Amino acid sequence: MYKQWSVDLNSDAKLMPKQVESSLQPNGEKTSPISVILVSSGSRGNKLLFRYPFQRVSENTSSATSKQRSPYVLNTSGDSVEDQDGDSREQTPLTDEQLVAGFSDSILATILATKSDMCGKKFELKIDNVRFVGHPTLLQPPHTIQVSKTDPSPKRELPTMILFSVVFALRANADASVINCMHNLSRRIAIALQHEERRCQYLTREAKLMLAVQDEVTTMTETDGTPQSPFRQILPKCKLARDLKEAYDSLCTTGVVRLHINNWLEVSFCLPHKIHRVGGKHIPPEALERSLKAIRPYHALLLLDNEKALLAQLPLDCSPALVRLIKTCSAVKNLQQLAQDADLALLQVFQIAAHLVYWGKAIIIYPLCENNVYMLSPHANICIYSPLAEQFALQFPGHDLPSMLAKFSLPVSLSEFRNPLDAPVHEAQLIQMVVWMLQHRLLFQLHTYVCLMVPPVEEEPGLREEEPPLVTRVIGRSLSTPSALSFGSPTSSDDMTLTSPSMDNSSAELQTGGDSPLNKRMTETLLASLTEHERQAILRVPAAQNPEDLRLFARLLHYFRGHHHLEEIMYNENMRRSQLKTLFDKFRSVLVITNHEDPIISLFQSPPD
Amino acid sequence: MEKKLIGCPVCIEHKKYSRNALLFNLGLVCDARTKTCALEPIVKKLSGYLTTLELESGFISNEESKQKLLPILSTLLEELNVTGACTLPIGYICVFYLSVSPSVDVIVFIITLSRSFMTDDSNTIHLKLIEQRKDPLVVQEYDVPVFTKNKDHFIKSQWDLTTQQILPFVDGYRHIQKISAEADVELNLVRIAVQNLLYYEVVTLVSIFQYSNVYCTTPKVQNLIDKKCLQEECIHYVSKLGQRTNLRDVFQLYCGLTPGTTVRDLCSRYSHQLQRVDERKLIQFGLMKGLIRRLQKYPVKVVRDERSRPPRLYTGCHSYDEICCKTGMSYKELDERLENDPNIVVCWK
Repeated sequence: MYKQWSVDLNSDAKLMPKQVESSLQPNGEKTSPISVILVSSGSRGNKLLFRYPFQRVSENTSSATSKQRSPYVLNTSGDSVEDQDGDSREQTPLTDEQLVAGFSDSILATILATKSDMCGKKFELKIDNVRFVGHPTLLQPPHTIQVSKTDPSPKRELPTMILFSVVFALRANADASVINCMHNLSRRIAIALQHEERRCQYLTREAKLMLAVQDEVTTMTETDGTPQSPFRQILPKCKLARDLKEAYDSLCTTGVVRLHINNWLEVSFCLPHKIHRVGGKHIPPEALERSLKAIRPYHALLLLDNEKALLAQLPLDCSPALVRLIKTCSAVKNLQQLAQDADLALLQVFQIAAHLVYWGKAIIIYPLCENNVYMLSPHANICIYSPLAEQFALQFPGHDLPSMLAKFSLPVSLSEFRNPLDAPVHEAQLIQMVVWMLQHRLLFQLHTYVCLMVPPVEEEPGLREEEPPLVTRVIGRSLSTPSALSFGSPTSSDDMTLTSPSMDNSSAELQTGGDSPLNKRMTETLLASLTEHERQAILRVPAAQNPEDLRLFARLLHYFRGHHHLEEIMYNENMRRSQLKTLFDKFRSVLVITNHEDPIISLFQSPPD
Repeated sequence: MEKKLIGCPVCIEHKKYSRNALLFNLGLVCDARTKTCALEPIVKKLSGYLTTLELESGFISNEESKQKLLPILSTLLEELNVTGACTLPIGYICVFYLSVSPSVDVIVFIITLSRSFMTDDSNTIHLKLIEQRKDPLVVQEYDVPVFTKNKDHFIKSQWDLTTQQILPFVDGYRHIQKISAEADVELNLVRIAVQNLLYYEVVTLVSIFQYSNVYCTTPKVQNLIDKKCLQEECIHYVSKLGQRTNLRDVFQLYCGLTPGTTVRDLCSRYSHQLQRVDERKLIQFGLMKGLIRRLQKYPVKVVRDERSRPPRLYTGCHSYDEICCKTGMSYKELDERLENDPNIVVCWK
């Protein structure tokens, strides 16, 4: 199950090496669990069935307790050195093992196995520096137990399990989102186990095995006197124990869990905090979700693995739409065209794309095009000793990464990059290099943003007022589907030509030439949103004398707030880049232009601070 | 239940108690969604104080004095929720002082078991809830600390001696190494003091200012258009003394910062806009608010032959700022030295 995640330097376009590095993280990694524990509660009381990692020596039960003590009590009588400030930060930090090893099996069983009315809900308990999170699940409704009590037949006297819980122990200062993810995983495993229990009593069988081994080891310890961990013996005998161990190991390393409960039901899960790491920082899931909601049809999906490797990782019963999408995906196609080529609805494409991004298999970029301008990302690792440099050298022999990256120190467009003054490198290979660098989060794309700013009057700076109708029109167009779409590949010389008819204010009327009263009125309405001062300033521009130009300017006015980049305006308004650039030039005295990355998708290149 | 309970159970074993032990737990009940890690020290401290009280005078086990807990608890609840500070009289001269930030809603409960006798004592207890902040960044010697609030707002005598000594040198232009030299304080002490200030969000770090620096805009520059209060703050901050610039000039200046443009170039191109703007303050404000970012130069030695030593500083991990600080070279010297070396490429990021 781990094979697909090992860094295989011989195949191309591989995963980020950071995923391997995370297995070398020191103790105290906040996104990894400390331990996984399976407890159950039934007619025989609360039991701890399995825990991993094991304690090295089971010495904790002999901690000088001669009488029955409530497990919740903090012993203060023998402890005179109390930190009076009650500072919860540890003086000498305990290792993760010690944190949970301090809890004996019976204590854990008591505190983690809850009553039936706590089942089906999130369970969270924090004790000093350890946080336990789980999802207690009822195995059978309570009334069947009563039935078994009244039934005198000997079969019914077998001990029954009422509820169970898969609990993860985390560091107390873990993020709330990590805790929620762990709870989610606990719930998924619980659902699978519940199902298998109903089908073939899988859980009761495994539990019996586990308890039997524990009893065996206890009796052996009493006779031999050598302490042993029963859980070590359980592992080879119980598939469920091995599954839990695998879940724990996966969570600590790659963050992707794939289990087959009873070799039948698949439970899959990914921890976004481990998967989405850029430059050592993780992208918080909320930021990821916000970005995914803001994807537009003109964005493209860039796979992070190569197609074959990705298809091999999918389960046999996966959706055929997913497979089709992966096969037709390309760095030069935007989502709209992808939907047409794969014969899927745009909304479905959005959903599948978001799914792939969430699982760390793809990122969102702007489709590759001649005029795209790229620059080195501030989080890019340009050290010559980085594993990325090695990978690059293997992938593209004869080239080294730092030299290539140096070319992107100043923003350079793809067309410029493809005509280097030195060696005649094959063009296709250059494009491949750019794709590689994008996949490894080394580059980001710069877009042009325009803002209306008229020269001020003496007292007040001219500031545009909000105009609700225009704003809503802009938002309203987000997912409406234009019917036809075509645009050039990077080899074509000109800008993208998009046909996007049937936008509600994409104003077919305004495009009819001539100075008709209708057009004039439209222009006036659009300019009415501005203050008098701004209107005057615009009309003073020499280009405003040309009614066509003025009309175009008025029509695009609502984009000039610095939130829509050039390509978006091109897509929405079905215009060519040259047209827009000329317009900007004509009205440059009232516009301010700047270039920076698209904040929506720059998340994938550089996580928020 | 949607509630969170925070408690610290205590067990005191002694023969005098009916079951040979007194168990009690003073806790707080909060809404499940609030962040309550700052309340934990209060709970722990309270349990410690109650334990002491019990051990000294049997405060809890005695039924009479236990009644005093009721008004104590209600005062505790009220005052913690409203003001975040609390003074609790217990017995004749026994007082609890507690303090918490007013954003947390708190209900208080207490559970006691068993009984004993009482005497009153005089104890004073101070509790304060400290907002937990995230760990600050490591401060490097080429970082420049700049105050986010007006320096004069702080009572200087409340700070430690090292901080007091370096305070006059923190002007938003001197970097750590320079502060250390001029204030005559050891470098690491300066770093720690500044890191402390960083933790309390009193200062923020920017980079060294030079006219040869290159900056570029970030998407946050659009905040200057969207947020009126930021506009006001900006105009106030960057205008030259006695003058007032306007938003358009400032915005044009920020947008004029592009990769490949030095501050010197900006000054010559936008001299009209800079008539009323102090460019150093402009850059400082832009960096503090994240409107612009600095593009640093990183030399990388592209090693060709096996015989030469592996590069120590030219690995792509150290910027010009850092190299110049560590080696004492100036930018110009470093530039000249690297230009002559064909094996070195320079990346800007």
